[in-house]
Amino acid sequence: MTRGDHFLVTLVAIAGLAVIALGVLAPDSSGVTIVGPNGTSRVSARTDGTHVVAGRAGEVVVTVREGQVRIVRSSCPDQICVRSGALRAGAPLVCAPNGVAVVTSTERGGLDAVAR
Amino acid sequence: MRLPADGANVRETVESATLLALAAVLGYAEHVLLPPLGVPGVRLGLANIVIVVALYRLGPQSALTITLGRVLVVGIATGTLAGPTGVMSFAGAASAWAAMAFLSRYTERFSVIGWSVAGSAAHVAAQLGVAALVTGSPSVLHMLGPGLLLSLPPGLAIGFLARSILSRISRPALSAIEG
Repeated sequence: MTRGDHFLVTLVAIAGLAVIALGVLAPDSSGVTIVGPNGTSRVSARTDGTHVVAGRAGEVVVTVREGQVRIVRSSCPDQICVRSGALRAGAPLVCAPNGVAVVTSTERGGLDAVAR
Repeated sequence: MRLPADGANVRETVESATLLALAAVLGYAEHVLLPPLGVPGVRLGLANIVIVVALYRLGPQSALTITLGRVLVVGIATGTLAGPTGVMSFAGAASAWAAMAFLSRYTERFSVIGWSVAGSAAHVAAQLGVAALVTGSPSVLHMLGPGLLLSLPPGLAIGFLARSILSRISRPALSAIEG
């Protein structure tokens, strides 16, 4: 390997670590946004439920169980989205063939009203 | 005895066709036999051995033809040519070729190993970029960090394999009767 090769390997490694560090520094949240070809919907990770999203190539099934959000079923051939596990801040669940992404989103915090 | 001028062109055409067939077979075999590595765009990239060899021996134009031809053939064979998957495949392959072709102009600074590392990283970045466009969610790009790190081992492995193959390829038989 030449010095230029070593430089390239170092550059790619540093770029990867930098992007990961930026993701780790992102604020955590309990809101979840499901983006699909037909629109966007917001759900709460605090409320258990199953959400079926119509993708470009079929259905993508997203479940919320005990605060964890996962894609449990998809019509895509590689099933990367299903094997990705639970949603984490900075690590969205993506089903590219269906055009579906599940990402964390910042919910509005604070009190809506105070009763006196 | 000297061969007619177009003898070299015939040899290059035959070599290009052979490399295209080899790249297609390797790409299809990898798609069928090896699972993806968890991040869209990150694969072992066995076909890239052929692309690196083609770039070294035949130049950027032939390597591009082989790259696009391989994506087309494998896409048809696996039924993934149409839709977002096909777009991601073309984007990744074209980006990898562009990165490797650029570095191939500076052979005194970068070896085929560096070409392969750059091509692997460019492939992952392009596929995630297309995935972000397809889903309309820039948050997909958070996978770029792990994707770039995961692209290094295959990039290095493919680069070393390509270098090993290139060091063993003998001069073409036709050259023995040229001049």
